[in-house]
Amino acid sequence: MNATLGRLLILGSLLVSTTGAVLAYAAGAKRSREGLRWAQRFAYAFSAMMILATLVMEVALVTHDFSVSYVAQVGSLTTPLWVTIVSLWSSLEGSILFWGFVLALYIAVATWLTRNQHEEYMAYSIGTWLACASFFSFLIAGPANPFLSVPFPPVDGPGPNPLLQNHILMVAHPPFLYLGYVGMTIPFGFATAALLRGRLGVAFIRPIRTALMLPWIFLTIAIMLGGWWAYEVLGWGGYWAWDPVENASLLPWLTATAALHSGVVMERRGVLKGWTITLIQGSFLLTILGTFMTRSGVFNSVHSFTQSSIGPTILVFLAVILLGSIALLAARIDSLEAEGRIEGAVSREGMFLLNNLLFVLFTFTVLIGTVFPLVVEALRGKQMSVGRPYFDSMVVPVGAALVFLLGIGPALPWGRASREQIKRSLLPPIIGGVVLLVLGYALGARNGWTLLTLAFGGYAAQVTLGEMWRPVVQRMKRGESLMTATVQAQFNRGRRRFASYVIHAGAVIVIIAIAVSSTTRTQREVSLAKGQSTTIGAYTVTFLGTDIRNEPHRVATVARVAITKDGKPVEVVEPRMNQYAAMREPIGTPAVHSTLAGDLYVSIMNLDGSGQNVGLLLLITPMVSWIWIAVLLMGLGGIISIIPHRQSSFAAASASEPSPATVAETPA
Amino acid sequence: MSRRMAVILMLLGLAAITAIAQQDPQGVKVPDAEQFVGKPKGTPLTGDDLTRKTQDIAASLRCPVCQGLAIADSPSEMATNMKGQVRELLARGYTQEQIFSYFERSYGQFVLLKPKFQGVNTLVWVLPVLALALGVIIVFAKIRNLEKAPEPKNAAAESAAPAETPEEDPYLARVRKLVKGDNS
Repeated sequence: MNATLGRLLILGSLLVSTTGAVLAYAAGAKRSREGLRWAQRFAYAFSAMMILATLVMEVALVTHDFSVSYVAQVGSLTTPLWVTIVSLWSSLEGSILFWGFVLALYIAVATWLTRNQHEEYMAYSIGTWLACASFFSFLIAGPANPFLSVPFPPVDGPGPNPLLQNHILMVAHPPFLYLGYVGMTIPFGFATAALLRGRLGVAFIRPIRTALMLPWIFLTIAIMLGGWWAYEVLGWGGYWAWDPVENASLLPWLTATAALHSGVVMERRGVLKGWTITLIQGSFLLTILGTFMTRSGVFNSVHSFTQSSIGPTILVFLAVILLGSIALLAARIDSLEAEGRIEGAVSREGMFLLNNLLFVLFTFTVLIGTVFPLVVEALRGKQMSVGRPYFDSMVVPVGAALVFLLGIGPALPWGRASREQIKRSLLPPIIGGVVLLVLGYALGARNGWTLLTLAFGGYAAQVTLGEMWRPVVQRMKRGESLMTATVQAQFNRGRRRFASYVIHAGAVIVIIAIAVSSTTRTQREVSLAKGQSTTIGAYTVTFLGTDIRNEPHRVATVARVAITKDGKPVEVVEPRMNQYAAMREPIGTPAVHSTLAGDLYVSIMNLDGSGQNVGLLLLITPMVSWIWIAVLLMGLGGIISIIPHRQSSFAAASASEPSPATVAETPA
Repeated sequence: MSRRMAVILMLLGLAAITAIAQQDPQGVKVPDAEQFVGKPKGTPLTGDDLTRKTQDIAASLRCPVCQGLAIADSPSEMATNMKGQVRELLARGYTQEQIFSYFERSYGQFVLLKPKFQGVNTLVWVLPVLALALGVIIVFAKIRNLEKAPEPKNAAAESAAPAETPEEDPYLARVRKLVKGDNS
């Protein structure tokens, strides 16, 4: 029953999205208002059916209806309820359905929010969204159908991939990643509409920015959660290995970040429209490429859980969009270009351009490094690898240059500035740079790149905090109280400006934390008998013994390890080996004693059968927690920047008020 | 699957782990090193230097049986053995280059996480640098171009670009109404 209902709903959404796409494009070409209304109805209809289909699957999962193929594949009577619910994205077919669900949510919300606005572009936008929707409906209806009927349903199933059950982060990571990936469809639709119209009016810049910022926030957090998961689960003490699947999530993030920056210049100066649109198209293409990389099984990765036959289908979709986008850009990019001008290279605008250069270079390098082995293998039949040492040596200089820009970019004024002005804004933050450099050196950092990053980071931190604080000071000079000035400057008039500096502050901390944590860690591999101790840094680690714990879905062997610091007991941590019925090899889960200064990471390397001896990997890694915290700060900044302002929908179009990104807080 | 089955599997897993644990990493022999890469060309390492260099080299060698992990990061038996071999080679005075070519002989280029600067692999190093050069040229050309662009209309005219006639953009029409105070 569930299987049939699900299949019907998916066929319905395929039909509705395809028809709706054709209708919407026709309405766009004819500029028909009635046609647009119908396109909106089709968009809602698609969303409704896709969401219902996902609900049907959830009902089937929760009620253990093993006559549905996907439930028979990942369901189990013994898994806890939360695992059953999230097993929707534990395997290929379910996760493609989940993709459809997220796409349906995005399309419904975007259609609703723009229902009475931007009529010129909306038919084409909805058409593009529905075209993407019809592709994914096709995937779900055909090659990755989760709703196949099982003629003789099993009594019980094997349960989802144990890695999914092994850690809570694995539950949170996929939804964020999907919200980030799928969300890129919305700005892609807007950008395609602008290209098809051959015009991008000022009023339409803001929705594009918001539509880009939202998935950017999700993607930022998703990348962090992925790294955190690797850190907490994989047991080697790192959070980023330049694995193809990790790179796949980073690539669209890089281009989207570039687009958010070039979007500011577009809004402020009327230039770089074609370029921003190109970056948005690129971000969407990279999300599809990422899906292909994750799902096709052509890459060797710790994160690819599923290998399947949908690879070629996605590749065809990718090729169609790539060629379509290139053709469209080639035909229309000129008609979007320059209404405005810029007045000098050493200016805020100039730094935005450099920023874009670096982000694109970053993307290009990661992309080359990721696909190169595949190309070589295809062309020459030889296997080769491009791994961490390559990426580290190529990307670290780009990262350092980005931190440098993070400092001088916001310090430079817009437009043409006098030599005197430039000096006045660029010189003082050198203090911040020197302070952090000296501090880092005193605390033991010796790596050249780390010290350089600290110097640039200190500079950028001083600029960021100074710029954040400046409008408040100006308002207080005009006689406002600290309270009013802060609220007015940061949360009302200058919200977007404030938000961007919150994001920058987060970025500075993340980059410093990455530089420090990857170059100053202490590592020991020790073998301990029961009761034996060893020291690492200021910590003493004692192996107390092992326990065997029977949990509903697994059997765990837990090593109890007492940590003391300077003679005082700190914590008893329990790194463990989890044995799932469905897996041959046990999965290790390390234990981490986290502090703001640094983490002590304890991971089981081997364990003898008697529980008397254990081999442990011990790692002291400074500043790791700052990465997670600072990425959350970046996400928070993103959220602040897209909360609608009371008058915001009119602010962008009103001639008398400059856009809030650049508010009148800057001195005249 | 039954609980008993699970326990048996777990015991098997533990037995495998124990087998690994009992291997003394110092005891790994690399008898064929001299045959493949000749006499050691460096000085033998000991103590902390040895540990650090082993770690460095292990981070650049790919574990052949894992999913894209360096042998430094992999808990597998093979990676543990290879780490032992690296350590022994270093202790006998082999240089980094010799050790890389030793493993390359055994497992092919696949094992090198940092591609060698030769043949088609040169591209992976050169292309990003070319892209940087090209990018710099484009950005400077673009800036020059935009500097020479005609003086824009004043700010007000720019924001409310004349192309946005009310017929085209009902949203702007609403704004105009609002600005005029005709708040219908």
